[in-house]
Amino acid sequence: MSFSPYVPIVALFVLGALFALFSVSIAPIVGPKRYNRAKLDAYECGIEPTPQPVGGGRFPVKFYLTAMLFIVFDIETIFLYPWAVSFDALGLFGLVEMVLFIGTVFIAYAYVWRRGGLNWD
Amino acid sequence: MSGGEATLFWILAPLAVIGALGMVLARNAVHSALWLVCTMLSLGVFYVAQAGPFIGMAQIIVYTGAIMMLFLFVLMLVGRDASDSLIETLRGQRVAAIVLGVGFAGIVGAGLSRALAGTGAIGLDAANENGNLQGIAQLLFTKYVFAFEVTSALLISAAVGAMILAHVERAKGEKPTQVDRMKARFAPGSYPGPKAGPGIFATSDSVATPARLPDGTFAERSISKILPVRELTSEESALKGTEK
Amino acid sequence: MDPTLQTFENDVWWIALIKVLGVFVLLLLLTLFTINYERKVVARMAVRPGPNQVGPKGWLQSLTDGLKLPFKEEIIPRTADKVIYFIAPVISATCAFTAFAVIPFGPVVSIFGQQTALQVTDVPVSVLVVLACSSLGIYGVVLAGWASGSTYPLLGGLRSSAQMISYEVAMGLSIVAVFMMSGSMSTSEIVAAQGDGREVSLFGLDFTAPGWYAVLLAPSFVIYAISAVGETNRAPFDLPEAESELVGGFHTEYSSFKFALFFLAEYINMITVSALCTTLFLGGWHATWPITLWSGANTGWWPMLWFLAKVLLCLFVFIWLRATLPRMRYDQFMRFGWKVLIPVNLVWILLLATVRVLQTSDLEAQTRFTLIGAAVLVVVLVAVLWPSGKKAAPAPSLAEQIAARPQGSFPLPPLDLQVPPSPRVARQVAERQPADVSSDRSEV
Repeated sequence: MSFSPYVPIVALFVLGALFALFSVSIAPIVGPKRYNRAKLDAYECGIEPTPQPVGGGRFPVKFYLTAMLFIVFDIETIFLYPWAVSFDALGLFGLVEMVLFIGTVFIAYAYVWRRGGLNWD
Repeated sequence: MSGGEATLFWILAPLAVIGALGMVLARNAVHSALWLVCTMLSLGVFYVAQAGPFIGMAQIIVYTGAIMMLFLFVLMLVGRDASDSLIETLRGQRVAAIVLGVGFAGIVGAGLSRALAGTGAIGLDAANENGNLQGIAQLLFTKYVFAFEVTSALLISAAVGAMILAHVERAKGEKPTQVDRMKARFAPGSYPGPKAGPGIFATSDSVATPARLPDGTFAERSISKILPVRELTSEESALKGTEK
Repeated sequence: MDPTLQTFENDVWWIALIKVLGVFVLLLLLTLFTINYERKVVARMAVRPGPNQVGPKGWLQSLTDGLKLPFKEEIIPRTADKVIYFIAPVISATCAFTAFAVIPFGPVVSIFGQQTALQVTDVPVSVLVVLACSSLGIYGVVLAGWASGSTYPLLGGLRSSAQMISYEVAMGLSIVAVFMMSGSMSTSEIVAAQGDGREVSLFGLDFTAPGWYAVLLAPSFVIYAISAVGETNRAPFDLPEAESELVGGFHTEYSSFKFALFFLAEYINMITVSALCTTLFLGGWHATWPITLWSGANTGWWPMLWFLAKVLLCLFVFIWLRATLPRMRYDQFMRFGWKVLIPVNLVWILLLATVRVLQTSDLEAQTRFTLIGAAVLVVVLVAVLWPSGKKAAPAPSLAEQIAARPQGSFPLPPLDLQVPPSPRVARQVAERQPADVSSDRSEV
């Protein structure tokens, strides 16, 4: 009987997941338990944990720009894959349209660069 | 549907629905984002099972990134421990939302089924004749080339929008350089020596406890500005049972 | 015999099961080996013996460490989000294992009378499977940082996510050129495409140059290698675990076997990117020139040996980097990823595409020249219109700077100190500039 070549990938996934789940569940059972209050505190190099600001602290909006740029380039990369695989079939026409596509995205990239969006400080 | 595909469907379809419900119902925003990952992954596996391996993998790769962004966005907007409030601010909002949601789903479903009723499928074997990727490339870069090029405009607006919303532009001179900082440090009136460290006392060794000056007053500059000044409670300064 | 995609559809279920189990065990063993390998190599580079107590020559050190960890106390911080804290290491480890399903170890061999390829499976989008696993693996790191409920892990997790997504783009772009050359995304077909070497005559010596994409697509290879180091959070890009700043980064609050799973995932990821590097750029399991003189080099089980040797070589480079280079600063690291790797990559892809169009298609001379002209025009336009910062005003001279200081400023040491010439360097007279002055010394 033949089966889909994707099945072994799923099999390895399941095997890995079972191994990981088994080991994280077995560890608390076989390990010692000698709790005290200090162990349950967050680790901050031995000092009293810093009081958390109300709301848990917010993060710099800087990360948002990085994440958004990542998505832009991720989608561009995804478009490049089928183009690259069948590049020989597409020929000159494929090259021209990809130059247009990358060029357009490059405008946004150059704009972000110019405005200092890629400077991390 | 073959037997294997049916089994897959009956395992993953409930998972996708549970993920979608969990996303709406979870009170913690980060848990919501994770339920969404569950749904998107199930959809990705569906695409692969339906002989569209490329679109399935693209779904997983792109959507994990997109949800990662959502995750970061949540962290940035509401902080780590934020939960939804369950108090209804608008009366009847929930009922209206459910009715409108079901109505919208009905309209979209009906519209799609009517539009696609007459379309004959050419079959997967014909579509994937030269391979799934090659088939996609042939369509995307010839017949739908305009849609493809327009996508780049979408990407531009995404990048520029994020830039405008999230970026605080600073000219070159505005950010103090190392030289500026050094000059400020040695400027008349400022003390260039090291700052007094936060206090190490018998009852507390927190960075939030300010140092004391020789006259007994607190040294304000010894604690970081982001920390609120606090006195430890008796519970915090009690013994923690580590001596056992 | 080279496997094709059809080979994998004909596998019997128990053969597939054997291969899945085999890869699983191999990964665990390789991880144990790599940890010891790394510790020993780093030790040698630091002129010390390294682990040498447990087992023969210390080779069982990592095994005993691994066995010890489940018996250690597990501490979960009070502020942790319990469920997510629990599943984060599971996500990390599972994704790391799954990626190895599509790595080819060798050609078709016979196992218990069944003809099967030494590869768990292969699909038309194999390389994307590896990428999907690595992008899912980021979740383990970010969620671990978030769920710990502690400051350092949260910072480490966020840094990790920003770093890994930045370098994932570079990694994804670097393999586009490989797809273009091989015309496929399936790992076994990419390996097969690198199989044919070219006859090269060098200094009267005839040999077959490897058809490796590391040679043909050198820029892609270099970018892949750099971004692989960034993607696996290894030195010099190990900022999420910068001990001096973030203690242990995202896994600070993890102990016992949960910590072991993160450790396992990190090493498997390292092995996976090395294996992918071998597959995509170093010819996969094909033997290289001196070995190919022996006609049986690429048959039977031997290729698995060449493959593992190449992987261990890549791992050695990882370790070598760690022993040699200091950690980069975060802003330098992000600038390098976004401002160097990505644009260079895109330009290289377009350049390669142009060359390929010129080579393969039978264009008229006029079209050909138009194409070359257009390429040159684009390069010139980019160079001319490249956003450049404003020219900084020339710095005032030292004398002007001193005169501009307000009354009562911090006393200055004498600024015209001459550094005496070094007795060991007779030719050179040390000319040291005082800090922060204009280039003209005569004004002092």
